Amino acid sequence: MLRLWAATAAAIALTFIAGDAGAQAPSGKVTIVTSFAKDVTDPFKKAFEAAHPGATLEVQNRNTNAAVKFIEETRANNQVDLMWASAPDAFEVLKGKKLLQAYKPKATGIPEKVGSYPINDRDGMYFGFAASGYGIMWNERYARANKLPDPKEWQDLAAPAFHDHVSIAAPSRSGTTHLTIETILQGEGWDKGWRTIKEMAGNFRNVTERSFGVPEAVNSGQVGVGIVIDFFAFAAQAANFPVKFAYPSVTTVVPANIGIIANAPNRAGAEAFVEFILSPKGQEVLLEPGIRRLPVNTATYAKAPAGYPNPFKDPQFQKMMLFDVDKSETRTAVVDTLFDQLISFQLDGLKAATKAVHDAEAALAKKDNAQARALVKEARDLIAAMPLAEAQAAQARAAFTGAKEKGARQAELEQQWAAFGKERYAQAKGKAEQAARLAR
Amino acid sequence: MTAIALTLRRYSAGATPGQIGLALAIALFLAVFLVVPVATVIYVAFTEKGTGAFTLVNFQDFFATDLFVRSFWNSIYVSLMSVAWASAIALPLAYLTSRFEFRGSAIIQTLGFLPLIMPPFVGAVAMTLLFGRNGTLNLLLDDWLGFKIPFMEGLNGVIFVEALHYFPFILINLSAALANIDRAMEEAAQNLGCSGMRLFRRIVFPLAMPGYVAGASLVFVKVFDDLATPLLLNAKDLLAPQAYLRVTSIGIADPMGYVISVVLIAGSIAAVWLSNLALRGKDYATVQRGGGGLSRRTLKPWESAAAYAVITLILLLVLAPHLGLLILSLATVWSFSPLPDAYTLAHYARVFGDSSLYIKNTLIYAALAGTIDVIVGTAIAYLVLRTKLIGRQWLDWTAMAALAIPGVVLGIGYLRTFYGVSLPDGTPLATLWIMIVIALAIRRLPYALRACHAALQQISVSVEEAAENLGATKARTVRRVVVPLMTGGILAGFVTSFSTAAVELSATLMLVQSNSDAPLAYGLYVFMQSAAGRGPGAALGVIAVLFVALCAYASHRLVERSEKKQGAVR
Amino acid sequence: MSKAVGVNIRGVNVSYGANHVLKDVSLDIEPGEFFAFLGPSGCGKTTLLRLIAGFNHADSGEVRIGGTDVAGLPPWKRDVGMVFQSYALWPHMSVARNVAFGLEERRLPRAEIDKKVAAALELVGLSHLAQRRPSQLSGGQQQRVAVARTVAIEPKVLLLDEPLSNLDAKMRVQVRRELRDLQQRLGLTTIFVTHDQEEANTICDRIAVMNDGVVQQVGTPMELYERPANLFVANFLGTANILDGRLVDEGGRRWFEIAAGARVSVLGDAAVPAGSKLVFRPQHAGVAAAGTTSDLPGTVSHREFLGATVRYAVRVGTAEIVVDAPFQNGDGLHAPGAPVAVTLPAQAILWLSA
Repeated sequence: MLRLWAATAAAIALTFIAGDAGAQAPSGKVTIVTSFAKDVTDPFKKAFEAAHPGATLEVQNRNTNAAVKFIEETRANNQVDLMWASAPDAFEVLKGKKLLQAYKPKATGIPEKVGSYPINDRDGMYFGFAASGYGIMWNERYARANKLPDPKEWQDLAAPAFHDHVSIAAPSRSGTTHLTIETILQGEGWDKGWRTIKEMAGNFRNVTERSFGVPEAVNSGQVGVGIVIDFFAFAAQAANFPVKFAYPSVTTVVPANIGIIANAPNRAGAEAFVEFILSPKGQEVLLEPGIRRLPVNTATYAKAPAGYPNPFKDPQFQKMMLFDVDKSETRTAVVDTLFDQLISFQLDGLKAATKAVHDAEAALAKKDNAQARALVKEARDLIAAMPLAEAQAAQARAAFTGAKEKGARQAELEQQWAAFGKERYAQAKGKAEQAARLAR
Repeated sequence: MTAIALTLRRYSAGATPGQIGLALAIALFLAVFLVVPVATVIYVAFTEKGTGAFTLVNFQDFFATDLFVRSFWNSIYVSLMSVAWASAIALPLAYLTSRFEFRGSAIIQTLGFLPLIMPPFVGAVAMTLLFGRNGTLNLLLDDWLGFKIPFMEGLNGVIFVEALHYFPFILINLSAALANIDRAMEEAAQNLGCSGMRLFRRIVFPLAMPGYVAGASLVFVKVFDDLATPLLLNAKDLLAPQAYLRVTSIGIADPMGYVISVVLIAGSIAAVWLSNLALRGKDYATVQRGGGGLSRRTLKPWESAAAYAVITLILLLVLAPHLGLLILSLATVWSFSPLPDAYTLAHYARVFGDSSLYIKNTLIYAALAGTIDVIVGTAIAYLVLRTKLIGRQWLDWTAMAALAIPGVVLGIGYLRTFYGVSLPDGTPLATLWIMIVIALAIRRLPYALRACHAALQQISVSVEEAAENLGATKARTVRRVVVPLMTGGILAGFVTSFSTAAVELSATLMLVQSNSDAPLAYGLYVFMQSAAGRGPGAALGVIAVLFVALCAYASHRLVERSEKKQGAVR
Repeated sequence: MSKAVGVNIRGVNVSYGANHVLKDVSLDIEPGEFFAFLGPSGCGKTTLLRLIAGFNHADSGEVRIGGTDVAGLPPWKRDVGMVFQSYALWPHMSVARNVAFGLEERRLPRAEIDKKVAAALELVGLSHLAQRRPSQLSGGQQQRVAVARTVAIEPKVLLLDEPLSNLDAKMRVQVRRELRDLQQRLGLTTIFVTHDQEEANTICDRIAVMNDGVVQQVGTPMELYERPANLFVANFLGTANILDGRLVDEGGRRWFEIAAGARVSVLGDAAVPAGSKLVFRPQHAGVAAAGTTSDLPGTVSHREFLGATVRYAVRVGTAEIVVDAPFQNGDGLHAPGAPVAVTLPAQAILWLSA
């Protein structure tokens, strides 16, 4: 406790003495809230403290949602200097609540965009320090034992072969998965995108609550295929797990970010860390086997091992679509809730319907029947049906703003959507089974 | 608060000023560290969207939503089944070790206690590796016999893991109760022609009922409110995960998450209240506490072999997570195979430097929390069972309600309540590590409270009256007679609070402000978030389990020795 | 009621580690007898009782109940009813359920159980309390429930382990009579363990006096009182003067010399084994004024008025002799300090060794 008082007192003293003298060498405690694992934070801590003797990096590990909540709850007496996490939308939330401090990094060699995504926030509130793309990760041993083909595209995961073999984190729980879902929706359009997602979802083994739950299950071989952010797979490969990874063509690379918290107690230290992480030295840390993220400084790739993906050069990244952050921001809650109510909490119904469709199609492949084919198409449409169109999605968000605005209550909407899904999945299952009987 | 105080004063006939003061102090403690912080979070449940006015419409929504209704019944089903399975595991262990002369009873009891101190994350991870769809057992079964057993599928998985995790609550309480039964009770039944299982069912078990019910209600409430296990096993159609998911994501501004929390709290209080009701009016105090517990029979060789076989089987099952964890901590890569590809000690080397700090912090936090818990627990048990203060039951219920408060709600409540309070040097109160201790103490108070309550319930009032008759004041009677007689129960409470606090995560996660203040569970969580961290995380988990188990065992031995000394004097 | 059976104990030894609790105990308890194990605490009487009930195990020897060796039988197959010192009533059952317990264990039809429970409660006069819980009863009532519970199963033998020790003095006298009446009515072989000689004397047909794991003597209360086999029995039952001294031969007669100038003539045919002590009951001696022809001159050190008798303590040499003299009126009493002589008829003398 004494230690803590001393450190805090020192930090306070520093703000008074140092004031705005940003040129002065950073010292004292720099407190950072992050969702990154120890494997990521430890090397940075070590390198940063070596580069700035006198400064210590104090890491508070929280998952992204809890970190945002924490910063919000403690704003009155803020003790945190930096926020460091993957999902850009978490930073959008912080920015929206005016919890971030603008800053202009001095680091050079960083392009404006990665893929088609701007690396830094246009208002200078947060900065990309590494890039990540979304894709499909699978366990080779599992795939061999279950005779799974290598997946390449999202649509591949909808094939009957993958039934009950795929895992995903709930987008409401994982910022990165949310971006994956949003990427598919933006890349394929609302209706087509949801159709793809639901066809995949019909093959889901489960929907996990933590982002890391998916790579963990794939690594240990409990699940064959996972929809994950690339570095999970790279880090697993670095740890010798028998896993592979592929970027589908509809995806995007987005930056992982760092931002300075408004009223940071050690602003000089915070700025020093931002500069460090964007510097060539800091960028090189990203190449460590336990971290394996894509640097934003193009020069760093010269030092990368062979086969390291380079989003600034590799052709597959060049055709990746543009990600509209604003569009994502306006409908985050609606998309996530739709996913939860139609997929996460209806998984049994959805899977049963999908299985019935697969069986009917298998039967049809042996013995065709036009009426049955029509029934299967109806069933597929029922599964893909959405309770609201894209235009309505933005309007529905009022239900998710809690007590601030009057309107439909979240629970009411959820119940409507869940009932919508449940009913249609049951109908789809009935139709598919009818089709299977006709085809027999 | 004031209302309680007034009520107490008005209806305190027969109570000493000391007792009233004690009741007020405890009420204040609970109010400041439990009621107020939680109220700042869950009052939203009763407000109308948009206006903030008081309403119950949200509860109407709760019961109109299929998902919540389904979750509600699933939660009750899972809790009841977990109690049933936990009983099936705990009964033979408690019965065999307390009824028969057994080598290594203390070790068996300690091992039987281990599941409680399984740190979060790693337990379910290890169980999945062993019993999951592609776990060791199912891969082998599939290879040899061509089928798999769905241990871990859906609600079954939750019941399986929860029963293994929480059965020690029943074991501990039941063992303590069995040890307190006067031997003549059993002999009288034998004398009248009763023996074996019938004797257990008709006499021994009913007499041990207060202990069993205390344990079973803990298991029920604990499972009812647990969110870590269902979440890790991807069973989300349960109340606690629903509340947690909403509170920590898009539902954060929506009342429904808090409505579920209120339902959870109400359900837990109802369970405790029902268990109290079931035991009301049953005077199970056995007068001669010094008369020694049930007679221990020496087993014939074949009986002994059978008993050891049963115990070994149960222990293997309940210690499976620990075994899995140990293997994981030594494994290089363990993926889709019955056992790891190769073994290494590197993970231990990796965590060696960090672990001493974590262990030191854990020891301080958990020991302080455990101490606070047994003090407050004993005090509440005493007030409830031995005084006539009006409203004393509320202390009990309030403390028990802590069971049902999701850790994250308590964490947010603490931040809201105490972050604005600054120390003279400007540090917010909530950033002090002592707040972690208090949060842990509040979270684990129900365990200690139930143990102390059961212990005190079994002590005959006449023992105290004798002391008072010989000139001891109430306070001195408590100190010199009641507390020493309760030692066993108090210790059980301390060990439970200590051990489970040592591996507690959810409230800690919100309140840990710096790595140097972090306890073991937090360090473990940080490790377990990456592929390369799995081994080191497991290594840290093994260290945590060993360390907490050693502490628990040592304190067990210590008290056993002092009890023996007492026994010699009697 | 079933025909009463006897209990025969032959050469029983029980040890707990180095502690030899029962040493070669043999006893025969007759059918229908009210028998007591009497002795100080730690003498082994409760161990012997529990051995009969089957709660202890003998290292050697045999126990027969009604002629059957019960060594291999567990307690629940012995059909001996035991009433525990603490009563051991089960708090989770009503009085009626407690009494019904043993009958239920014997799988009797419900109707018969109800009838026998009613009869047993009637027997102890507690029919009106059948639905109470044990904790709502007084000590005496609890004791009677414990007895009712035990006799309800119509055991071959009834064992009572200090059943009166938890009752107050007045209750004790009343309950012991009830127990005796009950036993007489049922004709039940009953073994009663107590450390209180008055209890044993008042209700038992025969008594086995035990000490240090050994049966000292078996006999009716009167036999034990009149002809104790050894010093322990003489001392444990009633008050006895036990005088140390040495045997001297003088002029062809034997004398037992207690102190210088204080000696008692030994009858010619009396056998006085070496190391024997002179033992007599206080009421068999008398106190006469000093100078009267007497062998035992002394001084009155205390005098107690007991109503029917006056108890003198007379110092003779270093010994103190207790004498109970019948009280007629205030005349002829000896005051403390007065020189007196103790008169002792030769027939009253017992020669006992340890």
